[in-house]
Amino acid sequence: MTNRLLALLACALLCAPAALRAQDPRLDARLDARTRDAVVGLIDSVRAEGIPSEPLVQKALEGASKHADGARILAAVHKLAGELGDARAALGASSTDAEIIAGASALHAGIPPAALARMRASRAHGSLTVALAVLSDLVARGVPGDTATTVISALANAGAPDAELLQFQQGVERDIAKGATPAAALGVRAQSAFPRAVAPRTP
Amino acid sequence: MRQHDDLDSMEQDDGVIERVAEELRRPLRVNAALFDARVMDEVLRTPSGLRARIASLVQPRTFRVSPLVALAAGLLFAVSVAGSLLYVLPASPRAVAHTPARTAPGSPIVQFGFVAPHASSVALVGDFNDWDPKATPLRAASTGGVWSVEVPIQPGRHLYAFVVDGTVWRPDPAAPKATGEDFGEPNSALTVADPGAR
Amino acid sequence: MELSDAALVDIVLRGESEAYARLVARYRDRYARFALHMLGNREDAEEALQDAFVRAYRSLHRCGDPARFGSWLLAILANRCRTAGGKRSRHERRFVSAEDRHYAIALDHPANASEWREEIARALARLDVDQREAFLLKHVEEMEYEQMSMVTGAGVSALKMRVKRACERMRRMLTEGEDAPTR
Repeated sequence: MTNRLLALLACALLCAPAALRAQDPRLDARLDARTRDAVVGLIDSVRAEGIPSEPLVQKALEGASKHADGARILAAVHKLAGELGDARAALGASSTDAEIIAGASALHAGIPPAALARMRASRAHGSLTVALAVLSDLVARGVPGDTATTVISALANAGAPDAELLQFQQGVERDIAKGATPAAALGVRAQSAFPRAVAPRTP
Repeated sequence: MRQHDDLDSMEQDDGVIERVAEELRRPLRVNAALFDARVMDEVLRTPSGLRARIASLVQPRTFRVSPLVALAAGLLFAVSVAGSLLYVLPASPRAVAHTPARTAPGSPIVQFGFVAPHASSVALVGDFNDWDPKATPLRAASTGGVWSVEVPIQPGRHLYAFVVDGTVWRPDPAAPKATGEDFGEPNSALTVADPGAR
Repeated sequence: MELSDAALVDIVLRGESEAYARLVARYRDRYARFALHMLGNREDAEEALQDAFVRAYRSLHRCGDPARFGSWLLAILANRCRTAGGKRSRHERRFVSAEDRHYAIALDHPANASEWREEIARALARLDVDQREAFLLKHVEEMEYEQMSMVTGAGVSALKMRVKRACERMRRMLTEGEDAPTR
C-alpha cells in the first residue's frame, strides 16, 4: 500500500503539469503543501474516470479539521476514490454523483457490487440514492447484509417513495434502540411494510 | 341497540357483553389540532407526483400553509428533541445560518438539534460546509440546553458531526453512525431525499 | 356543505392535498378509539392512527372504491395495529417480540378510570389479537360481518368464530375473574 501511495505522490508531483491541476483554494488553505499536492494529483487522476471530486475534497478537509497527518489523509482520499470508482462501475456510467456517493457507502458497508448492479437493473427509473443510503445505514447498524438488500430492493421495486424508505429505516432504528436485535427489527418492519392483501391470513 | 345474527344463541348472557360494548363505545376525544397538524405535516411533505411540497429557501412558497402546519412544525421540534433530531421541514421564515453557498436553490432545509446544557458553543460540521467549525454555529434555545440550526442541504447522503466548545467532536446520538475513515472522531450519516423525485 | 368521502378523495387526488385534512377530521376520533382498544395505550394508538392516515394518503390512488374510504382506512389501521411496534408506555420501553406481546394496561380515558373500565381493558388485553380485533369491529364499531371481512381479509365464518370465542372469554373473565392466559 505504501509503495502505491508513494508512486501516486511521485506521479502527482512530477507528471501533472501545474496548469491541469485542480485549483481548489480550500485545499490550499487547509493542507500542508506536500499533502495538498498529493491529494490534488490523486483527484486529477481519477476525475478522468468520471468519479465526482467533491467527496474527495471534503474527505481531505475533514482530515484537516480533525488534525490528521498527511499520510492518513491521503490514504483516506485514496480509499474513497476506489470505492467511488467501484460504485460507478456497478451502478453504471450514467449514475448521478449522489447515487455514486451513496453506492460507495454501501460498498464500504460490505454490500457486494453485484447487489448494486441488481438494484440498478430492477429500478430503471428514479434515483437509487436514498435506497442505497438506507441500505448502508442499516447494515452499519448490524442488520445482515443480504437480508437488508432483499428487503430494501423489494421496497424500491414496489415503488416505495424515498420518504417511505427513510421512515422504514427510522422504524428499524427505533426498534433496535428499544432492544430488538437488528435482524428481528428488520423482520417486524418488513412485515408491516407490505400490505395485508399480499400475505395470506389463517383464522 | 344490538344486531341479531345466527350466533345470538351462543351469546346467551348478553348482559355482560352489552355492558362491555357500551363502555368501549364511549367516544374518545383526540387533541385534534395537534393530531391533525402532525398528519397534515407529513402529508404535505410527501414528495409525490401531485405537487412538490418542499419549498426552497429562495423561492416563495406557492401554496397556502395553514397555521396548524406551522404550529405542528414548532411542536414537533419541541416534543422530539431528546438527544437530537433530524427533520426535513417545509421552509418557514426562520433565521438560517450562513453556509458556503454551494447548495443549489431548492435544497431542502434540514434542522439539526443537539442537547448540551453546559456548552458555551456548538457548531455543525460536515461535507456540506467543508468541515469548518466556524461555518455553522448552532443557536441555543432560552432553556433546556437545546441547540439548533437549519441548513439547506443538497439531496443525497452526507456525513456530519458536532463540535462542542470549539474542540470536542461529537457524533449525533440519534442518527445512524457512519462507518469508514473518520480520522478517529466518529461521524453521523444523513440522507436527504430529493423533493422533486417520485 | 358536507362533502362525501368519495368527493373528498377525488379532490385530493386532483392535487388539493389540504382537503385530506377533512377526511382526517372525519375519522380521527372514531378510529382512535379502535386503535386505543387494540393497543392498550394512548401513545401507541395515536402513533398507529397517524401512521395509517399518512399511509392512506400516500396510496390514495390505490383506494379501489373512494366511497368506502372509511373501511379502506380502517383496514390499513387494523393491519398497522396488528404489527405495531409502538412506543409502549413511557414506563416500559422494552421491545417485545410478536409472539409474546403484552399490552400496557394503563388506560387513558377522558373521564376518571373506574375499576370496571380497568377490568375491561385487562380482559381485552388478554384476548389474542384476532379475537380482540373481531370483537371490537363487531361490538364497538358495530359492523356487519361482510364489512368486517373486507376490513380484515378474513372469511365471515372465521370472524364469527373469533367473535364467539372473544365473547365467551370476556364473559368468563369479567364474571368469574378467570385468569387463564390466552390460548
